[in-house]
Amino acid sequence: MRLAALLCLAALLAGCGADPYEGKTRVRIWHTKDSAERANLERVVAEYNAQHTDRVVEVLWRETEDLRNLFIIASVGGKGPELVYGASDNVSLFAMTETVRPLGDLFSDEFFEQFTEDGVVSWEGDTLMVADQLGAYLTMVVNQDLMPNPPASLDSLIVWGQDFTEDTNGDGRPDRYAITWNYTEPFFFVPFLTAFGGWVMDDDGRPTLDTEATVEAIQFILDLRDKYQIIPNEADYNISEMLFKDNRAAAIINGPWAFAGYGEAGVNYDLVSIPPIEPGARWPAPMVSPRGYSVNANVSDEDLPIVIEVLEYLVSEEMQRIQVDLDVIPTLRRVMESPQVQDNPRLRSALLQVQRGRAMPIAPAMRQVWDGMRGPYQLVMSGDVTAEEGARMMQEQVEKRIADTFL
Amino acid sequence: MATTVLETSTTPVPETANKPPRKAGMTEKTRVRLFLAVLLGPTLFIVLAVVAYPFFYNVVLSLSNMNIYHIRDWELIGPQQYVSVVMEPLFWTIFGKTILWTAVNVFFHVSLGVMLAVLLHQAFVKGKPAWRILLILPWALPQYITALTWRGMFNYEYGAVNLVLTKYMNLPAVEWLTSPFEAFCAAILTNIWLGFPFMMVIALGGLQSIPSALYEAADVDGASAWSKFWNITLPMLKPVMIPAITLGTVWTFNNVNVIWLVSNGGEPADQTHILVSYVYEAAFFMYRFGWAAALSMVIFLILFLFTQVLLKRTGATD
Repeated sequence: MRLAALLCLAALLAGCGADPYEGKTRVRIWHTKDSAERANLERVVAEYNAQHTDRVVEVLWRETEDLRNLFIIASVGGKGPELVYGASDNVSLFAMTETVRPLGDLFSDEFFEQFTEDGVVSWEGDTLMVADQLGAYLTMVVNQDLMPNPPASLDSLIVWGQDFTEDTNGDGRPDRYAITWNYTEPFFFVPFLTAFGGWVMDDDGRPTLDTEATVEAIQFILDLRDKYQIIPNEADYNISEMLFKDNRAAAIINGPWAFAGYGEAGVNYDLVSIPPIEPGARWPAPMVSPRGYSVNANVSDEDLPIVIEVLEYLVSEEMQRIQVDLDVIPTLRRVMESPQVQDNPRLRSALLQVQRGRAMPIAPAMRQVWDGMRGPYQLVMSGDVTAEEGARMMQEQVEKRIADTFL
Repeated sequence: MATTVLETSTTPVPETANKPPRKAGMTEKTRVRLFLAVLLGPTLFIVLAVVAYPFFYNVVLSLSNMNIYHIRDWELIGPQQYVSVVMEPLFWTIFGKTILWTAVNVFFHVSLGVMLAVLLHQAFVKGKPAWRILLILPWALPQYITALTWRGMFNYEYGAVNLVLTKYMNLPAVEWLTSPFEAFCAAILTNIWLGFPFMMVIALGGLQSIPSALYEAADVDGASAWSKFWNITLPMLKPVMIPAITLGTVWTFNNVNVIWLVSNGGEPADQTHILVSYVYEAAFFMYRFGWAAALSMVIFLILFLFTQVLLKRTGATD
């Protein structure tokens, strides 16, 4: 018995010593793809691994902030995944910290020319990311069973919403709302800011938040909640998702990462552009950003050919066509011009929203812009400061954070 | 023959005759030292690797300009980061909140813990093991699960706390997570829930060691229950509770998990930060690595001084 136990232990220890990657190149990918896209990537990678004996691709999902922070720290320390996937606003930070490899010399011009203008992301002259989708933008998703005729303006949404929002069980609180979105995050504030003519920074990268447009946009959202009462009193990302999926909100403002989840939840949804404040007014312009892959600066020359092959596969036509079925806007011209996209009403709506959007600045200061806006925005929504004070605080906070980061 | 035997038996036996043969050139003292070195070596190596090296590296970082713009080419700039920390108005605000956070939490941890321990120690309480398990549960569960569960319960519209307040107590709903004061209270409530079982367990152990003769003598003297608690239980618990309170204070002061998870990273508007969560924010969200290292050294100094003063004043280690 004792001998058997010893033999088992020896076998176990011998097993621990074996290298599961012997003779194979390991390609690790850290990514931020959510729900259906995440499941799709994992399935595709499993199939890819089954077809290749000389390499192992491993994917690891990370939350957006964690991915950026951990990748920078790991890569500066000489480690980290071979490929990193995320929104294009990461690129400038990755470039500044020299944690990703310029791609210009790794791929041919013909390769880059297959992509739309947004599909290849550069910063200060270096190509640093190849995108597989125009994946970071916001649009209005409507539940067609609750809102069969999407409003042409936010003013008409208010009128319709005041009838729709009601307390059905008599507990003193509304049980369904006209629209919802995550109003703790400034990224979701941008469509309203742009609807009033504002923007987050000027061409020189200086914040432009203490403006009349910011005040008007904040006040408009406050009125939707407090005066017209057509949005929930408190709504972060999860609450908004729950309300929409439970048919308790007729519309939601969200991005493509969430669309497939609405279908899975049984919501009869459609995509429409976020309407202007009143007919004929300026269209709200959500920030638009491609999402794609960058190569870790620490990838050895020996592993590089296989890492490049994996990247090429992940942004290939085959992959992008699979993703189109998940309502993802592709970046390859051939796929974009195909009937699969052009004849898809949802994608056409999404493309229209993207055209009405505005490219997210690929500036390192965007980090400070988001962080500096977030706090005052939340204070305004909690009623602790006025819209005017909120706009002033946003400007001060962003300027302070930019200045602080240099020490 | 007899003489021979006698002579043999009385011959002095060398002291080392029954001991194992000594290695050539190694004295007893050396052997003891070698033995101690073998025992302590791995521990010393681990302590140096996981405590001393990071600590001194942190000291070096705190004297550097390391940030996102100088993550590879950082250089030593002297005590500028320390000056920046103490000149930052937010530092003093957050320091005040940290003291409040620590004091309120530790007060409730200790008072609830001791109260429940005394209650569980009473002879009339039935099913003590079951009560003990039940009361230790908040501490036994992973902290982040408890913190996130409480965050869900504090939701304005659908949280259990507001449902109880509005439906069963006819009180208005509270904006637990969106208003600065309420959000800070929510984090404190969560941490009180998480922390009292530890103090209860320590106090229970202390209560077991109090001789029952003391209570019997007090009964003979006609002492009241309060008098026995004040004059016997509390003084006898002091030797075990003071180190526990010291530990509890340091843990609470440095408890980043609860405040971060309940308030979702200091929300709203960084109003619910304590010093240690602000270090995390400064390092990993603002990328101010040198500044964050300096702030963490300031926290270390505060806790070091506090611990020394408390242990010396209370004589808990005497």
